[in-house]
Amino acid sequence: MIINGVTIDETFAEAFPMRGTRVIITAQNLEWAMNSAQAFTGFATSVIACGCEAGIERTLEPHETPDGRPGVACLIFAMGGKGLAKQVETRAGQCVLTSPTSALFSGLAMDQEEKEIPLGKNLRFFGDGYQISKMIDGKRYWRIPVMDGEFLAEETTGIRASVGGGNFLILAESQPQALAACEAAIREMRKLPNVIMPFPGGVVRSGSKVGSKYKALNASTNDAFCPTLKGQTKTELSPEVESVMEIVIDGLTEADINKAMRAGIQAACELGAENGIRRISAGNYGGKLGPFHFHLQEIMA
Amino acid sequence: MSELILTLKSAPAQRVDCSPLTVDKLEGKSVKDIAALTLVVGNQKLRVDELFDIDGDDPAVMRFENATDKLDHIGHGMTTGTITVNGNAGAYLGQFMMGGEIIVNGNTGIYTACEMKKGFIKVNGNAGDFVGAARIGYKNGMTGGTVVITGNTGARTGDHMRRGMILIEGNAGDYCGSRMVSGTIAVLGQVGAHLGYAMKRGTLLLQQAPEKGISANFNDCGSHTLAFLPLMFASFRKLDSEFARVEPFSRVQRYAGDLSGIGMGEILVKI
Repeated sequence: MIINGVTIDETFAEAFPMRGTRVIITAQNLEWAMNSAQAFTGFATSVIACGCEAGIERTLEPHETPDGRPGVACLIFAMGGKGLAKQVETRAGQCVLTSPTSALFSGLAMDQEEKEIPLGKNLRFFGDGYQISKMIDGKRYWRIPVMDGEFLAEETTGIRASVGGGNFLILAESQPQALAACEAAIREMRKLPNVIMPFPGGVVRSGSKVGSKYKALNASTNDAFCPTLKGQTKTELSPEVESVMEIVIDGLTEADINKAMRAGIQAACELGAENGIRRISAGNYGGKLGPFHFHLQEIMA
Repeated sequence: MSELILTLKSAPAQRVDCSPLTVDKLEGKSVKDIAALTLVVGNQKLRVDELFDIDGDDPAVMRFENATDKLDHIGHGMTTGTITVNGNAGAYLGQFMMGGEIIVNGNTGIYTACEMKKGFIKVNGNAGDFVGAARIGYKNGMTGGTVVITGNTGARTGDHMRRGMILIEGNAGDYCGSRMVSGTIAVLGQVGAHLGYAMKRGTLLLQQAPEKGISANFNDCGSHTLAFLPLMFASFRKLDSEFARVEPFSRVQRYAGDLSGIGMGEILVKI
């Protein structure tokens, strides 16, 4: 399959089940909501060492938020409900509770099959007995006295069985061209709901393979896609490819990742061969590890 | 199935215990069965059809016509359905209620929504003393649900109240929020003396500064913009009430008390 001179490999991205939730952070203005949201979703590129993958889904207009102030919707994913609960709690405690004028709300209703995880439920103890609970419309909120006034947090948030690790690789003739294609792809993908691209700017340049020659490591550089090793290893790259970058996608459902991959690959292909984009590929582990397979040619069909 | 209408034949001289007349207890019964049920009236028992003309057969949608303040315990422990009362209702309206809706087009007696757990009660009129309170000797009043009173309430509104909301469009009587454990009472009109007497926790939200002042047991915590108020006003918007139309405010003067006790309650007065 070739789109605008770009070869779409006959391969698939392999993704894994995760647990995810959405939280809404509001503040006096968007700038301060964003300050908190950036901290909340900081150091959350990969579950390998961060414990979760998180990102900003989009900004919210005042009429879209529970308290009528500007806000930011964040998605956060972890391998299990417990891990997710821990990450959400510590991050909310250090990055939202602390942020001036902020308030924290659930962005996902409770799922019948899944338990809810705490949001303000345990943060309330910061109130040292002065915290106040309010039941509004069947939901419990906590009012925690803080130095700038009151921190308002919803008690819990719903979680969903989600999908993490959807991905595709952009193979280009030069580093600037690969990055330009990634930027174009991310621009389009950020318009879509229910997905985040957790790496810095949405792009990762250090794709990994499973295992390493060193016993202590369970992942190491994906040498088959490293352009400088073309003559040294069993390479996947043709002579003209000089740079490869990857976009990783986490989403609430398989369909959301499908859509995001399509939009991203489409945008990269629009730059086409004339801008040095040669191939689109994807990362997988032979299909044995992850139950979700995103076949590139099917997505782009 | 059509709305079950119970029309009172004549005003009873004695109090009538209407607690058997809820959908939970009438479900599956024929009109004949319902007519043959006995109600305790004063010191005797009377058949339902001796007191009421019965029309319709669906107890999930029930209506009392010509009701008087002698009809006690309407909607007792109900979990679902709606009851409309045209006329006054007696004491203990919606006691132990666990769901559903009661609309009274008239006044209610004492202990409206007594120990109510869930559901919705609207009184298009005045309510007596002890709205949402606990029975005498009991510790927990209302633990959930919403009560809207379009008129005034008597004394001790929300006595021992634990959760839920009481919304008063008119005035509240003396000792409003007394011994309150938690929950919210909002008043658009005036409140009587001894506001929040022995209040432990909870919120008394006032649109007007109380004419009789705030007791010395409440300390001024200053003026604040509270983030939960917009959410609360938003939740009012779906109610058929003046509260749905009132201009939302989040700027309030906060008083904490009752400091003779644990002092975790608050009176919020719009500024």
